[in-house]
Amino acid sequence: MAQSYEVFLGCAIPNRFNNYESSMRAVAKELGINLIDFEGASCCGTVVLKSIDESSWLALSGRNIALAENRGHDIMTPCNGCFGSLKDTDHVLHDDEDNRKKVNTVLKPLGLEYTGKAKIRHLVEVLYELKDDIRKRIVKPLNGLRIAFHPGCHLIRPSNVVGFDDPELPRKVDELLELTGAESVAWGLKLSCCGSPLLISSEDVATKILSEKMISAKQANANCVVTNCPACHTQFDVQLIGMKDESGESLELPALFVTQILGLAMGIDPEPLGLELNRISLDPIADLLGF
Amino acid sequence: MTETWGKFKSFDGKKFEALDPEFTREVSSMLGGEDLTACFQCSKCSAGCPVSDKVNIQVHEIMRMLLFGLKEVLETDMVWLCTTCYTCQERCPQGIDITDIIFGLKNMAFKKEIAPPGYIAARKSLYDIGRLYEPTDWEREDLELDDVPELNVEDTRKMFDKIGLMKLKDGD
Repeated sequence: MAQSYEVFLGCAIPNRFNNYESSMRAVAKELGINLIDFEGASCCGTVVLKSIDESSWLALSGRNIALAENRGHDIMTPCNGCFGSLKDTDHVLHDDEDNRKKVNTVLKPLGLEYTGKAKIRHLVEVLYELKDDIRKRIVKPLNGLRIAFHPGCHLIRPSNVVGFDDPELPRKVDELLELTGAESVAWGLKLSCCGSPLLISSEDVATKILSEKMISAKQANANCVVTNCPACHTQFDVQLIGMKDESGESLELPALFVTQILGLAMGIDPEPLGLELNRISLDPIADLLGF
Repeated sequence: MTETWGKFKSFDGKKFEALDPEFTREVSSMLGGEDLTACFQCSKCSAGCPVSDKVNIQVHEIMRMLLFGLKEVLETDMVWLCTTCYTCQERCPQGIDITDIIFGLKNMAFKKEIAPPGYIAARKSLYDIGRLYEPTDWEREDLELDDVPELNVEDTRKMFDKIGLMKLKDGD
C-alpha cells in the first residue's frame, strides 16, 4: 500500500526554499508517497519558542500533532527544526501525564485532543525505507560527486527522542546518497552544529561556526554540501555567500538538498528539482550533476 | 571570547555569598532537570560543545553553578549561545538532559528580561502573524507550487492568551 502522510512544511521551506519543496514533491511522486496538505497548521515553535516558554511550545506543537491525529493521519516533515519540535513534544506528552493533561486542557476548547496516535517522521526516514526502490530507479549516476553531507543536529539528537540513526556515526542518509554513485566523504565536523539557531542571538558566533564547518568540508575535498533541513541550508546557501577564510580563499561550496541529488540520479527533469534556485552557483559541479 | 552576550563573564575575583538550594531545586523540577544533581564534573559536555571555544562560561561550568545554586548562571553567555545541538546531552555519562536544562534556564532568563532582542521580536511575531519572522513569497508559480500555506493565527493566539505567553514575568 502506498504510504500516506500529512506533510508539515513549516515556515522556512515555502518562504525560502521552494527548490526543497518542489524536489521533495517530485521525488515523492516517483516513489508513490502520497503527500496530504496539512490543514490548519501553526508554526512548529521550534527551539525558539521552547527557549521562551516551554508550556506555550508544548501547546503549540501539541496542537499540530493533535490536528493530524484527529484526522487519522501520520505526519511527515522535510525540516529538522519541525521534526525535532514535533518529536520532542510527542516524547514529553507521551511520557509525562501532567504535561499531557495541561496541553489537553488548552486544546479542549479548540475541539482537539492529543493521545499520541500519530506517527511523526522525517522525510529522509521515509526515503530510507524505500532504499531498494530508489536503488532500482537510479538511471543517471553521479560518479565523481564528493558530498559533505550535513545531517543536522535535530535529525539525530537526542537519539532517545528522535530514534532515527546512530547519533555518533549516522549512515542512513549517506547510504541513500551513495546509491547515486556519489561519495559521502568523511569530514571532521560533519556532526557539528551548522550554527543556524544562533542567527537570532549572535550572527557573529553563527558565522564562526559555519566557517569552521566549511574549512573542514574543504579539507575533506568535498565538492558540495548536502542537507535535509531548510534551517541548516540557510547557513550553507545564504549566509555562506561571499564568505572567505583568513587567507582570502572562498569558503563557498555548492549546496544541495538530498531530494535534488536523488531526483537528478533518478532521472527527474532538472526543472521541478528547482536547481536554478540554488543560490551558490552549481557551475563547478554541473557536469557531474549532468545538467 | 565573545562580547556578544552575558554580563557574567568570569569567575575571577567573584565572591558568592549566598548559595541558594531553592534555585537548584527549581531548575531540577523543570523539563529534563530531574538528574541535574548527578553531575560529577567530567566536562565531557564542554569537550563536545561547538561553542566551548566561543563563550566565556562553558557548559560544565554552568552545571556546577546550578549545583551551587548560583542564580548568576542566568547572566552567562552559555545560556543564549547554546545552539541546542544536543551533543552534551547525547554524551553525558550520567544521562543528564543537559540541553533541556539549558532550555529551562532560557525560560527563566526570558522572564527576567535577560534575552537577546531577537527572541523578544520572535515572540511578538509569533503572536501577531503566527510566524517567527516575516515571510516572503517568491518563484512558487514557476515551480507549479501552490501559494504559501497560511499558518493558523486565531486558535494559536487563544492558546497563548490562556497560557499567558505575552505576559511572562518573574515569579510566575
